[in-house]
Amino acid sequence: MKFFRSFIGYLIAGVVVMAVWGELGKFGIFGGFLAAGIIIGPLWYMNHYVNLTGNLDDASFVDMGLAIGVCGIMRDTFMTGTSSLIDSIPTILLVIVGSALGGIVAAAIEKSMAKDDTFETESPEPGMNELELNNLKNKN
Amino acid sequence: MTTSLGIATLCGSFIFPFMIRMSWGKMVDNWGPIGGWMAALFIVGTAWCLNHGISTPMITQSGAAWVDQGLAAGVGVWVASSIVGGNIKKSIPKVVAAILAGIVGGFLLSLFL
Repeated sequence: MKFFRSFIGYLIAGVVVMAVWGELGKFGIFGGFLAAGIIIGPLWYMNHYVNLTGNLDDASFVDMGLAIGVCGIMRDTFMTGTSSLIDSIPTILLVIVGSALGGIVAAAIEKSMAKDDTFETESPEPGMNELELNNLKNKN
Repeated sequence: MTTSLGIATLCGSFIFPFMIRMSWGKMVDNWGPIGGWMAALFIVGTAWCLNHGISTPMITQSGAAWVDQGLAAGVGVWVASSIVGGNIKKSIPKVVAAILAGIVGGFLLSLFL
């Protein structure tokens, strides 16, 4: 059941985005914003806020974007043949490498931000910098 | 694909998961579920403009199979979550479910599109 509920959540996300987004995107930039609001909003709510996909708190987070990405690639592979998949491999690889780099940098920054947060909770008033806090500690 | 377009594709797919990790969770913390809608509009929507929407988009499609920025979100968020302490082993069933759902979804779409 656990597998089935993740599967169906990801399946709906992939199918809706890959069927509807292209049509709305024909209206230009604002069609894209409309698509983001009416497609990603409800799907995110169902899959990740209600947690239909069942991501565990202590496990690495699997975003529905993965299913959407695979669905787009496989849609055109089924419709136009394997040659289109082979032609798209350079883009697929670049996207995977680029996004992994993005994830690594974001994680490093999050760790540094977590340090800032612990400092913020120690300081008696907001906006106090580290030097001031240290001076205050030394006086006491 | 030329080198310059390749670099642009790499950087475009860097930006999207980075924006998600920086802001999405905070928006939900501050505004509740509506924060998720805000994030959908102003992270996914805005990054979509950059990566797919404008006339010469940042992610260049080298073939006929559409490579969506969603793939970048899936991979990037998973990598970041693994680094900050997510258990990779426990996430494998979800990864399998997502990839399988993508393949079945692609087949389903090819029936009627």
